[in-house]
Formats: sequence, C-alpha cells, structure tokens
Amino acid sequence: MSAVLAFQLQNWFFFFHELIAGIAVGSLYALIALGYTMVYGVLKLLNFAHGDVYMIGAYIGWFVLNALGSPLQPIMPIVPLFLLAFAASMLGCGVLGVVIERFAYRPLRKAPRIAPLISALGVSFFLQQTAVLLWQANPRSYETFSLRPGKDGVGELFHNVVSWGNFQIQYVQMVVILSTVVLMLALSLFVWRTRTGKAMRAVSVDPEAASMMGIDVDRVIAVTFLLGSALAGAAGVMTGMIYQQLNPYMGFGAGLKAFIAAVVGGIGNIGGAVLGGLFIGLAETFTEGYLSSYFSDLIVFSVLIVFMLFRSTGLRGAPVLSKV
Amino acid sequence: MADAPTPPGSQPATSPQIGVDEWVKRSGERITGPGGIVGGSLRLATRTPPAVLLALFVGLACVIPVLTSNGYVIGVDADTMLYVLLAVGLNVAVGWAGLLDLGYVAFYGFAAYFYAELSSAHYNLHWPTWQSVPLVVAATILLGFVLALPSRRLSGDYLAIVTLFFLEIFNNFTSNGYAWDWLGFGAKHDITGGPTGINNVDPFRVFGHKLTNSPTDYVWVAAAGFTVVAILFAFVNKSRTGRAWRALREDQLAAEVMGIPVKWLMLLAVAVGAGVAGFAGAVNGAYYQGVFPDTFMFPLLITIYAMVILGGAGSLGGVVFGAVVVNVLLEILRTPYQARWVFYAAVLIGILAKVRPWRLLAAFLVATAAFGVIVNEIVGALWARGVAGPIAVGPTSYAKTGFFATLLRHWMVLPAKTYTDANYAYGNYAFVLAIVLVLASTVVTGWRRWALLVPTLWVAAFAWENTLIEQAPTTRPLLLGVILIVLMATRPAGLFGQTRVEVV
Amino acid sequence: MATPMLELRDLTVSFGGLTAVDKLNLEVGENEIVSLIGPNGAGKTTVLNLITGVQKPDSGDIFLGGESVVGLAPHKITQRGIARTFQSLRLFLNMTVKENVMAAQYGHTRATIVEQMLQLPRARREEREINAFAEEKLAFFGERLMGYRWDQPAYSLSYANRRRLEIARATATRPRVLLLDEPAAGMNPVETHEIAELIGKLRTEGGFTILLIEHDMHVVESISDRVVALDHGVKIAEGTFEQVATDPRVVEAYLGTKAAATK
Repeated sequence: MSAVLAFQLQNWFFFFHELIAGIAVGSLYALIALGYTMVYGVLKLLNFAHGDVYMIGAYIGWFVLNALGSPLQPIMPIVPLFLLAFAASMLGCGVLGVVIERFAYRPLRKAPRIAPLISALGVSFFLQQTAVLLWQANPRSYETFSLRPGKDGVGELFHNVVSWGNFQIQYVQMVVILSTVVLMLALSLFVWRTRTGKAMRAVSVDPEAASMMGIDVDRVIAVTFLLGSALAGAAGVMTGMIYQQLNPYMGFGAGLKAFIAAVVGGIGNIGGAVLGGLFIGLAETFTEGYLSSYFSDLIVFSVLIVFMLFRSTGLRGAPVLSKV
Repeated sequence: MADAPTPPGSQPATSPQIGVDEWVKRSGERITGPGGIVGGSLRLATRTPPAVLLALFVGLACVIPVLTSNGYVIGVDADTMLYVLLAVGLNVAVGWAGLLDLGYVAFYGFAAYFYAELSSAHYNLHWPTWQSVPLVVAATILLGFVLALPSRRLSGDYLAIVTLFFLEIFNNFTSNGYAWDWLGFGAKHDITGGPTGINNVDPFRVFGHKLTNSPTDYVWVAAAGFTVVAILFAFVNKSRTGRAWRALREDQLAAEVMGIPVKWLMLLAVAVGAGVAGFAGAVNGAYYQGVFPDTFMFPLLITIYAMVILGGAGSLGGVVFGAVVVNVLLEILRTPYQARWVFYAAVLIGILAKVRPWRLLAAFLVATAAFGVIVNEIVGALWARGVAGPIAVGPTSYAKTGFFATLLRHWMVLPAKTYTDANYAYGNYAFVLAIVLVLASTVVTGWRRWALLVPTLWVAAFAWENTLIEQAPTTRPLLLGVILIVLMATRPAGLFGQTRVEVV
Repeated sequence: MATPMLELRDLTVSFGGLTAVDKLNLEVGENEIVSLIGPNGAGKTTVLNLITGVQKPDSGDIFLGGESVVGLAPHKITQRGIARTFQSLRLFLNMTVKENVMAAQYGHTRATIVEQMLQLPRARREEREINAFAEEKLAFFGERLMGYRWDQPAYSLSYANRRRLEIARATATRPRVLLLDEPAAGMNPVETHEIAELIGKLRTEGGFTILLIEHDMHVVESISDRVVALDHGVKIAEGTFEQVATDPRVVEAYLGTKAAATK
C-alpha cells in the first residue's frame, strides 16, 4: 500500500518540479514576448530581430561577468556583480533596440508591410553573425556551477533549494520568477500611469491621430523599443543564470517561441503576452517532462496552429477594427 | 499630368498644349529613369526579347563547362544554377504575391531528404529518377499547400511565423531524427540520418544514362530545369494568375472585392514556389550524393532572400541576376586575398558613382590616405609590433613586400599576427566602431558627414583587414545581412525591380 | 412588384457596442438608380461593406436577384454579380490601366494555372477575350482612358481619371449591381457633371442597377430614381429627391433641430 502511495507522491513531486520549471521558463518567454507585443502594438511590425537582441543581452551579461573576474574570481561581491550584469545588459539592449529601430525600421514606415519584415530578417541574421564574429560559435558559460555554497554566502543562489519534504524550488528559479514579476509590474505601472505610457497606448490605437494630438510618435516608438529590448536583455541574463550555456543561435528558437506566446496571448496585449508566455513555457516543459523533448517544438507549433484556426485574436486580444 | 477639363462639345486646340493629353502622349518617351550604366543596361534589357535573354543566359551557363576544365569554376557554375532555380521559386511568393514565405528552405530540404530516402541505401530503395523526381516535386507542392493553409484567414504576418516555425521544426527533425521512436512504442527508427545526414544518394539516371557527380552534368540538369521553369513562369506572369497575384500584392482587399479569390491565390503562390524548391531539392540530393541537415537552415534562407531582394523582387530576370551576383560575390569572399579587393573595389565604385564634384572626391580620397598614413606613423612610433604585421595574399601565405603589401602596410595598421583569438580583438572592436560611425554618418549632414566618413572608411578597412577577411565563414553571412538591411532602407526595388508607388 | 435586383432585409450590424446599421430595409429594382444619403458616420459605407461581404452582419439578409448572398466570401459575392468602388480609391496603382481592368475579370475566367503555363488553347483564348473586354470597358469612358493610356501605370493618372478607372474596373467584373461610393468626391463642377452623365449612361447603355452613396446633392437630384436617407444606421426617409430633401427628419439630421423647425 505504501508503495502505491510513494509512487503517487513521486508523481506529485515530479509534477511540482515540472510546474515550477515551466513557470520559470514561462517567465523568460513572457519577458521576451512583452517586447514583441509592444512593438507590434505601436508599429504593427513583427520584429524578428527581437530574439537576437535577447541573445546579445545574455552575451553582454557574460561579458560583464568575465571582465570583472567571472564568478570564479570576482573582484566584487556576487550579488552586486550580477546586478551590474543586469544593468549593463538592460541598458545595452535598450540602446541596441533604439538603434535598430532608428536605422532599420524608421526609413520603412511608409513602405509596404513586407519591407520592414525583410529588414528585420536582415538585422536578426546580422546580429547572430556579429555574435559569432565577436565571441565565436562555441558555447560560452556563465560558469555559475563554479559558485560553491558558502563563498561570499551567495553560492546558495545557484545551488540550493527551498524544500518542503521532497517539494523543491531552486533559489535561482525563485529569483527569476520574482524578478520577472517585479519587471512586469514596473512595466504595467509605466504603461498605465505615466504620460509616456498613455502616449504609447494612443499610438498603438491610431498613430496618425496621436501625432495630431501633439504626441511625438517617433519618440514614443523609440521608448517602446527601449523598454521591450531592455526586458529582453534582462531575460538574457536570467537565461544565463538558469541554463549557464549561451550560443549565438539561442535567440532564434527562444525568440520564435516567445513570439508564439505573444500571438497566443493576443498580439498587442501586454497582459496577454504574460499569459501566453506562461502558457507556452508550461506546455513546453510538461511535454519535455512527460513525453519527450523531441515533441516540445511540435506541441508548441500545434498550439499556434490551433489558436490561429480557432481563436486568432489570442487569449486576451480584441478583434481589430479598421475603416474600409 | 492634369486632365484639362474640356467643355463638352469643344474641339481640341490645333497645336499641342502642355497638360493636354496629346502633348503628354508625344513626350512620353522622355520619361526619366535611372541613369548611368544601370539605367542603360536596364533599357537595353527591356528592349531585348525575353527569349533572347533566356537563350543567352542558359547558353552561357552551359558553355562554361565546355570552355574550361577548372573543376572549381564549373562547380560554382552548378551551384549558381541551383541558386537561380531557388531564387525564381522564392520570387513567386515574395515577389509576385508579396508574401513572406520563410519556410522556403524547409521545402528545399524536405525535397532533398525525400529524394534521398527514395534513392539511396538508407531504406534500400532505389527508385528510378523519372519516378522519384516527379513524386518529390508533387509532395513538396502538397506540403506547401498544407503549410499555408492555417494562415490563409489571417494576414501575411501569420504566414511568416508559421513558415518560420516549420523551418525550425524541420531543422530539429533532420538533426535529431536518427533515433525516432513513436513515444516509446516500438524500436527506434533512423529516419533522417541525424547530424551526419544521408549519404550515398543515387545520382540522376536520365534515359538510361547515369549522370556522374561531376558538376558539368548537373550544370546541364539545372540549366534545363531552369529553362523550363522560366518559360512556364513567364507565361503565368502574363496570364490571369500573374495579374491576380500582382493585384493581391497591391491591395488585398480591393482584389478580393474585384472577384479575386485571395486566399486560394496565397496558397497557390506558396505551393508553386515549393514545387520549384522541390525540383531543386532533388537535384541537390543527386548532385552532392548526400543530404545534410546543416545545409537547409536559416543562413541559406537569408542567402536566397538576399538574392531575390537584390535582383528585384517580382522581376524574373532580376532575381536571376541577383542570384548570380550574390553567389559569385560569396565565392570571391572565400579567400582573404580576393576578399580584400571586393571591399576596396566596392568602396571605390561607390565613391566614384556617388560623389560629385570631382574636387570633393579627390579631397576625400587624399584625406583618407593621409589619415591612414598619419595613424600608421603614430601607432608605429608608440608600439612597434602594431605595424609589423604582413598582409594576407593567399590561403595560407602572407607577404610583407610587394607593391600592394608595401602600400597597405604604410596606410593600415596591421598588428603582427600571433594566431590567437586575442589578435582578432582589435579588429572586432574596430568592427563595432565602424558600424557606429557608419550609422552616425547617415545622421549628420553637410561637411560634417564627409569629415566623419574619412575615419569611418579607415576604421572599416581596419576591421576588414584585421579580422573580417580572415573569418570568411562569418563575414559572408554578415554581408548578406547588411545587404538586406541596406537594400530595404535605400533601394527596396533592388536592381531590376519595379519602383513601386505606395499609398499610405 | 417584380423581384428587386438588390434587397436588404432587417440588416443589422454593430461594432463594439455601437449599432452601425439598424434593421435596414432597402430595395433596388432592376435598372434603377437609388442614392443613399446621410451625414458622415450614418453607416452608408458600412452598408456597402455588408453587401459586398467585407463585413458580416449580425442579423438580417441580403438578396441579389432573389438569392441570398449573406455569409459568402467577398470574391464569391462579386462573382455572383455585385461590384463596388471605394470612397478612398483603391486602384492597383503599380499595374497599368488596362491590367487593372483585366485583373478584375479573374472571377469569370476558368483557365487553370497549368493551362496558363503551357499556353494551352483555352488560356490563350481567354487572354484574348479578357484583353478585348477590357478595351471595351475602358472605351465606355470616351477618349480619357484609351490608346496610349492603356499601358500607363495607374499611379500616373489624374484624380478624375482614377475615379473613372475605378468604375471601369468594377464594371469589368460583369456585375448586375454596381455600388458606387461617392463617385463625385473631390471633383470640380465640370467633372461632376461628367460623372453624373456617366452614371446615367451606365444605367441606360450598360444596363446596370446602381446604388450610390453621394454627398453632392446636384448629382443626387439629377440622376436618382429614388433617394434613401440614413442617419445613425437607421433609414429616416425614402422617396423622390423632392420628398426626401424637404423631409424634416432629413433636414434635422444634416443641419440640426433649429433648421428643421424652419421647414
């Protein structure tokens, strides 16, 4: 009898483990998806390059960590070191996003829809290959494995778990989920309580009318890219923290999935991006845990197809009305 | 061209008047177009009957293997013909229908793999060519339809995502499909051969004659295929389907309301393009006698897109030209000593073409030369090793003497080589700096721009010499990305595309 | 009364809480010219969108020659025999004048893509027919869109010629009913007069049934058999021009209550 019980409990432990992992991954996807959805809201553009901005963010974090001695021999305490990595990454990616918008997309505001999409493809590829040029194609590591518990007291961050019996959550996962929540709250506050946020919402409804109301549309779009790219940068550093390994092509797959998350949640809808990110993260993790990792991509793809066929406006999207 | 309202019943004036239709009609030929060499060749190209152009092109491609016995050149010829086929196929969806088909390379790969599975030792099937190739093409067309189906109700953006994601899945499947078990039931099957792909694929057998895998045979196969495809497509373009595609590219809603079944035509465009990719895939499998997952990935997609966009999306002749130019360019960039000259040639041509008056041009060139020499002297005085390096002149050879070597070593800063990663660090930083400077120079205007361009050019040359030409496998893709970005921002119609008027 | 060529029955649609068209009943008899008037925002273009299938009504029915066309895809509705022009022109700007008119004939041609690729007889024959038909439709507009104009890109046309081309393209779909959305918008008095004559010619020589939206009352007065006035999606008056123009509800809708009180 107790063997059955043990088996059941084992299943529950596993389920819980997968659940937390799924939420952590989902948080990452949510952060990236926010950038996609905000840009689509104001520009109606699918920014294919966004995933690669995320990748650059991860590398910027790695660069900062390594320049300051790496987790092995840090010249400053670990927590500030990582905070610095976050700051550098978010700042660097924010600037990168603004530059990309200014030079690759702004000249194409009046061009047919397909033109900025092709430009985005070019930027995406360019960023990937620049990363290969600068940091080579072999994977780099955040080397947080090397952090031993007890050293500076923060090695726990990367190894220890909080547990109730056999239910475990890694500290790192908690950090990631909490940071994501904090960032998303900050973004919501910005979008719903500040003037620029209001301007962003106005531009996403009707750019022409917004500009006639005195809103500097160019500036609003630049701010949108800044915020979205900064969030992607943060997600990049967090990826390094959880998964250790970086390679120049990591942005492609993650970007695609985050994009699907944005679509599933309702493209253009900020809350939807978060919901979609969690949905896709959980779907992917549970598929990998219970079926096999071969199928996770297929399952996510099927989710996309199902939504496109039956609920094309996503979980939270509103139907698009346009005057003919 | 104002329409002068003529009161009903009046007669037109006896002499032509500006603004009145007759004058416009007689002056129509004085329409301005692009000037210079491009404009002249454009006009020549449009006046030549397409059949002549096609014959000339195919003839040239086929005669090269006869004229030379250089295996490398013939190989480039064969690759180019394959790329031409691919570009023409992508042009249907992207150029004619205005759709973003990002899974195109997956169609190509699917066809190659399917052919490999039908005609190799992998499953021990050795279907004859005349059976396997049509089946492969038909299957790829069907795949195109099926993939485009879910997104037809939504905008073209969704087609882009679905096809891109399919490419990702295809890549995963081909790389990991060597131990495929159906969810734990049954044994593991090797479907795609995994990272090493499928080898020992049969070559084509045409009329009982087994083609060798020498490039010459496949130049002719690809050229024959291209001729057929070009003729068929030229006819379609002039018929109702071609017009309908163009209409849907112009204004989807208006086309729908004019009785054009937009959704069906979107499917058709993707499927027809996939069909061409299908044929090219079979040729690929037979030519290389093997199929490998690394071939059919995102970089190849960008390459084909660069060809289509550079040549002019929508123009059959344009994309052919684009394919040739891009592929030849990529080949030239394979070795450092050839790659170097591409950079300087491109810069010089660009400057000569765009910079007027001559005095400004001369001043600019002199300033750049002076700048380089000065920097060289300063760096040399402070850090002798900094200017001690040789220049690359061959695949593994370097030189310190010789006309160009001396010239460059006095103008450019070339740190002595130590063959470590760190040596590329200077070039890498210079690369990033060069990008920043180029972007900055598009923002400033007037004399400041010229002043900024001098160091920009030098820093770019520095990056080129010190890192980019030696890392060809990365530089080539980098340039493709740059080509796409710059083209869309400055000349979206490419070289031979139609300059389009858009209503905002 | 014979079956009306176009009939709208209790047609209703709302967007986001706003009822744009409210239980509209409208009939257009064969070969009639009916004008739809009303202030901006009254729902007139929405009615055209509903008829052509661009938007789906929430309830109600639309009949063409007695057959219901509600719920069909727009291109199918056009193939059944309803064509329209757009208030803001939507020409295929980068295609030539003739190609614009030829493209609109897609729905009535049958050659498959394989036949086109191989230039089989049916494809060649249809292409000749399409060509001739396009020239015929363009000839309807006099010398304006003839001769060398055929091969000029549509973006090079003047505004008035663009409007004419838009109508020519619509007629090329071989419709029974023509929906014209503000055909005289932006025209000077001479051009307006020409357009009005043209619409009349479309009815008499072309045999079309016409429903048009128009703001210019001179045009409405000179060519309409009947006038229907709409306000906030509701039909407020119907009848001859004199009847509708003096109807107090119509005056109120256009000019406000005080003006209506003076009538």
